[in-house]
Formats: sequence, structure tokens, C-alpha cells
Amino acid sequence: MKKLSVWLLTSLVAVLIVGCAGQKAPAEAAIANAESAIAPIRDAARTYVPDQMQAVDAQLNSLKDSLAKGDYAAVIAGAPALNTAISSLKDAAAAKQADAEAAIAKAKDAWAGMSTDVPKMVDAIQSRVDVLSKSHHLPKGVTKDSLASAKSGLDTMKTGWSDASSAATSGDFTTAMSKAQAVKDQATQIMQSLGMTSS
Amino acid sequence: MADDKTPAPAAAADNPYTQTHVVVSGDTLSKIAQKYYGDAALYTKIFQANRDVLSDPNKISPGQKLRIP
Repeated sequence: MKKLSVWLLTSLVAVLIVGCAGQKAPAEAAIANAESAIAPIRDAARTYVPDQMQAVDAQLNSLKDSLAKGDYAAVIAGAPALNTAISSLKDAAAAKQADAEAAIAKAKDAWAGMSTDVPKMVDAIQSRVDVLSKSHHLPKGVTKDSLASAKSGLDTMKTGWSDASSAATSGDFTTAMSKAQAVKDQATQIMQSLGMTSS
Repeated sequence: MADDKTPAPAAAADNPYTQTHVVVSGDTLSKIAQKYYGDAALYTKIFQANRDVLSDPNKISPGQKLRIP
């Protein structure tokens, strides 16, 4: 009876050892597959969904810890959830990237029109300011203050436009459009203050 | 005036944001200058900006669309 017990115990230990050893390869493969799946999307994910990237990395590191401790069963059990998270990460990063690229393309298109319009508005204002500066009297509706404001506004607009152009040159069309819109709004306001509406 | 001999800048002629005035009966460049600049003496600025359609500052016609620089 004692011999039988020893034999059973030995057999059980052997089965467990063989069983664990049998789980090692699938566990290592699960980690390797997860890392391979993350690698090509890591940069985009860091840029567009950094929090989600961080969460997936935490999941991956947890399973790697389990692997290092020889807890292969935990790795295998956790792998499906990690794979699902990686899949969601990939989809979210792709969606955010598509949104960002669409916004950039839209800003780039808008910049084309803005880069034509705004300098012409500034030129028209400069021309009117130059003429009014030579006038002995100002026309009805135009005050000395509005003329002075237009003169100082021209400097602000030229600086703003320079900044917008620099942003566009560097490829940052979103910033370029934001700055250009500010210049355009100011130009519109100055044109109104100088009575520059066609009869 | 030296300004009178200066041709209108092409940029101003092509500029859609340059204000325009449609001439009506009784208008003169001086009256138009008075309206837009507060100074009739600045009519030459309007004449120079419209040299492509005006050959004589004293001859403008109703319906003409003039640029007001």
C-alpha cells in the first residue's frame, strides 16, 4: 500500500512537471505573438491613443512577469484578453490617425484659399491707410482712432501672417489656419472700421 | 503730380478686396474722393488706380466701376 502511494505521488509530480513543461512553449509563443502584433502599431498608438497603448503594455508586462516566474498557465489564460486589447488598440489608433489626417488635409485645402485671400486683404487695407494718412479730413464714419488702430493693426496682421506662413511651410496646417483665421478676422474688422464696403 | 505718372499696381487691379464704386450721374472723381477719403484733393489716387479704364480724370461715366484704393 505504501509502495502504491509513493508510486502515485511520483506519477502525479511527473504529470505536473510534464504538464507545466508542455505549457511553456505555448506561453512563450503567446508573448511573442503579442509583441509581434504590437510592434507595427506602437508608434501610431503612442501618438493617437497613448492611454490605450499604456494599458496594453501593462497587460503585456504582467504576462511577461508570469512567464518569467514560470506561471505558464496564467500567461495562456491571459493571452486572449491581451489579444483582444491589441486588436482594439489597432482599430482605435487607425481611426484616430484617419481623423487626424483628414483634419490636416482639410486644413491644407483651406490654407490654399486663405493664403490667397488674406495677403490681398492686408494689401487693400495698407493701400487705404496710405491714402487716408494723406487726407486732410477723414471720411464720414472714419475716426482718427480707427485710422490709428488700423495702422497698428497692420503691423499685428503682418506679424500674424508671417507666423501663419511659417507654420504652413513647416507642414503644420492646423496651426497655420488658426493663425491665418485670426489675421483674417482682424482684417475684416479693420476694413469695416475704415468703411471699406463697396457701394 | 508725381503720383499721376505712376501706373496702377497690377496687384491692386487684381485685388478682390479693393473697394469699388459704381459711378452715378453727377459723380466726379473729386466727389468720390471726398466720399471715401474725406479729401477731394486725393482724387488722383482714384484716377491712378483706374488708369486701365480712365484716360482723363474729368471724364467718368455712369455705370463705370472704379477701384477705390
